[in-house]
Formats: sequence, structure tokens, C-alpha cells
Amino acid sequence: MENDVTSGPSRDYALQTKGLTHIYRGVQGEVQALSDINLVVEAGKFVVIVGPSGCGKTSLLMMMAGLRQQTSGELLCLGRPMDKPDPSRVGVVFQEASLYPWLTATENVAFPLSIRGDDKAASRQRAREMLALVGLNGFEERFPHELSGGMKQRVSIARGLAQDPPVLLMDEPFAALDEQTRMTMGHELLRIWSTTSKTVVFITHSLTEAVYLADEVYVMSARPGRLIDHVEVNLPRPRTYEMMATEQFGMLRERIWQQIRMGH
Amino acid sequence: MLAALLCAWQLLPATGLVPELFLPALSKTLAVLFSDWKIYGVALLVTLGEVVLAMVIACGGGIACGAVVGGFSLLRTIFLPIFSSLYAIPIVILYPVLTAWLGVGPQSKVVFAGVYAFFPVMLSTAAGIRTIDPQYLLVARSMGASLTQQVMRVIIPAALPTVFTGLRLGGALAIIGVVVAEMLTAAAGIGYLVTLNRTILDSPRVFAALLMILVLSVAYDMLARRLEARLLKWVPQRQSPMGPRTGLNTATTATAA
Repeated sequence: MENDVTSGPSRDYALQTKGLTHIYRGVQGEVQALSDINLVVEAGKFVVIVGPSGCGKTSLLMMMAGLRQQTSGELLCLGRPMDKPDPSRVGVVFQEASLYPWLTATENVAFPLSIRGDDKAASRQRAREMLALVGLNGFEERFPHELSGGMKQRVSIARGLAQDPPVLLMDEPFAALDEQTRMTMGHELLRIWSTTSKTVVFITHSLTEAVYLADEVYVMSARPGRLIDHVEVNLPRPRTYEMMATEQFGMLRERIWQQIRMGH
Repeated sequence: MLAALLCAWQLLPATGLVPELFLPALSKTLAVLFSDWKIYGVALLVTLGEVVLAMVIACGGGIACGAVVGGFSLLRTIFLPIFSSLYAIPIVILYPVLTAWLGVGPQSKVVFAGVYAFFPVMLSTAAGIRTIDPQYLLVARSMGASLTQQVMRVIIPAALPTVFTGLRLGGALAIIGVVVAEMLTAAAGIGYLVTLNRTILDSPRVFAALLMILVLSVAYDMLARRLEARLLKWVPQRQSPMGPRTGLNTATTATAA
């Protein structure tokens, strides 16, 4: 591990964990899901966490979202712990688009705003703007079952952005999409990100997706999940599909693959 | 289809193929309805009142019990098998007991039909709440939704389609329950008119009563459909669990019982 976690909380870090550990108490006794996770995410960065299935990536993200509590260690988001979900700091985009089927696209995006108690007309206006941002003009009044998989995930991203949280957590948001849609969505996400100056923590098990999207990649081992590498991706932005064919891209991808394969 | 049926009803008795005692002509049946409209009107009001009260009991109790049983896993494991088994019992065996307790007036009908219709409402409410995708609640929690908001904004709308299936079935059973109860022991209501006129072999009056039950059931079914279409317009290609002829099924079951 080459990353030096400076001591003491800092407001420059969007997220910071120290010795973060998570142990499940399941039917078959205790399972250590995460072990001694130390990472920092600088504000405004696009950070990808990559690792094999079942390595505890989602557990880590749930803790960052305040939806699950660590067994030990410390997690700070913008300098404060996440002892419960806080949509003013963190928005979450889930693996399944998880839209509410009884609400239209606009209503789904406005949902977090209405939970917060915002004015209805203003919420709808904001929701429409977010839908425009993710390229869904003309689909505002559609129900989720009338949208394709990629469109649903766009709505889900718009919903994550609606409350304008400084940090956006994304849990394998494109995993259920086909390869082409997935590439397009990754590209779209970078475009959206570049216009919003958010900090993004993005979880995936796709190495190509990781290198293509990230400023920095954290590599996790199989269970119990530990961080085994931290890779700076210094490919220029905006990223283009052509970059995937470059030697630099291939070397970064290869390095991450080696780490995951050895898994120590 | 309907017209053909009505024509057959009118013409078959006239040909003499079917004795008039078994099937009086449509015109005779309607004539009775016109001449005795006061009697039938009063009976319809009695039946309708009992049905509405029974539905209130069944829906209120069924939704409340179903929500509690469906919402808590401990209660679910204890009570759900019990209720599912009770549902299989022909509850009509309770009716003589109920008349002994509550008399032959409307109370016994309302309670009987209410209990009869309670089970589908309760079971489908429990199922509707149990089968909610936990992801829906996780999303709401990530947005900082309070427990009340989770119930009002997520659990209720998510459970509504399943609950509604139970309500439709429950409503149909409430009609059946009231009519059957009236036919067994009563002093008023449409079901009572069926039994009364059957014993004196006055078939036009029996069929007039049956016709009213039929209309009542069909009207209920159309109302339920309307409501469902309005409330659940987001459900994709909703399949009706009771088929397109609920009203007729209800009526035939009621007559057969």
C-alpha cells in the first residue's frame, strides 16, 4: 500500500477511512467481510474501487452511505462520521436502477426532494433539469417499465444528483447492462461528472471500466476484503474510446489484473 | 353474446322446450320486477347495506391484520399458516351459530359475510407487504426517509396491486356471503326473496331476484375495475387474477350455493 493516510480528519478529503473493519454475524457464525480498510478520496476526484465478486465492495459502499455501520475503525465523510444516511452529503446510485415503478421518471427523480420536504413545483423543475442533464428529454412522464435498462440507470443517476450531494456513490451501476450500453453509459457518466464537480466513488468488477473512468483505482482482495493496491490513472481527460487501445491503458489494466489474480 | 343469451331466455320457454317452472320467459321476469318494484327495491337496499358493511369489516380488518402479520416476521411465521388453513374451511358452517348469537336480522349476515371476505383481503395484504423488494426501502433510507415516509411513500404504494387483488376477491365474497346467508335464514333481502318465492314455486319472482343479484355483481365488478385502472395505471399489462367474467362467476356461485 503506497497511500499515506495523513493523521487527523481533513476537510479536503471527501472520504477518509482508518482501520475500517466489518464483520457479519450470520447464521454460520462470524464472517469477516472487510479488514483494515485505509483510504482517502480527495474532493472532486473520480475514484473506482475494483475487486472480485463477494470481496466486500458493496459493504464498503453501504458504510460510506451510512446504511451500514462498521464493526471497528473510523469512516469520515467531509470530516464527519456517517452514523446514518445523510443525503445532504452523499447520494447513492444502486446496482439495480431501483426506480419506484409507481412513479414516473420525473417523480422518481423528485422523490428524494419530496422526502426532504421541498416545494413540489420546484422539485419537479429540478427533476426535469436533472433528466435533461442525463439526456432524457422527452421521457419525463414515462413509467420505469416503459424505459430501457440504460434509460432506467440514467434516471437513477439523475435521482442521485437531484439533492446535489457533494459525494456520489455508485454501486456497480452498469453491471446489469449489455456491453455497448455499458460503454456508452460510462462515457456519459464522465460527461455528467465533468459538469457537476462531484466526488464520485464508483464500484465495479470490470477492469476496463475502472481504468477508463478513474482518476484513482483502489484494488481489493477476495474476502476478507483488503486494499491491495492503489493505482493513479494519469490518462488525460476527456477520456476517449481510442485510449483503450493505448499501451498505457493496457499496462494499467494489466497491473490491476495481476494484483487481483495474486490477491494478497 | 349477451344479446343472444337474452334472446334465448325469452324464446326458449315460448317454444315449450323448457317448462316455464324451470325457466320463465325474460318478459315475465321483467314484468314482475316492474309490478313489484317496491318489494324488490327494498330488498335490494337491505342486501346492499349488508354487503357494504361486510366489505367495511373485511377490508378494514383484513388490511389491518394483513399489514401487521405481513410486516413482522415473527407474527408471520406464527399466524400465516393458521390463517391460510382457516381460509380452506367452508365458513358457511359458522352461519347457524351466528344466527343463534345475533338473530335473523342483518347483523348475522354482515358478520358472516365480513368474516367470509376477510381472509382473501388479509392474506393478500400480508403477501403484498412481505414481497416488497427490500431494495425499495434501502433506496428510501439512503435518501434519509423516516419510518413514516417509508410506510406512506414506499410500502403502501408497493403493496397496493397485491392488496387490490384481495380487495376485489373479498368484495365478491362479501356479496356471495350476504346472499347465501339471506337464502339460508332471513326475513329480508334479495336472497330471502329467492328462497321465499322458490318455496311457493313462483319462478318469475325467483328469476327476478336472481337477475338483481347478477346486476349487483356485475356492477360491483365494473366499479372495482374502474377504481383499479385509476389507482394502478402504472402497473404494466396488469393481468386480472379472476378473469374477465368475475360478475357472472360470482352470480353463478351465489345461485348454486
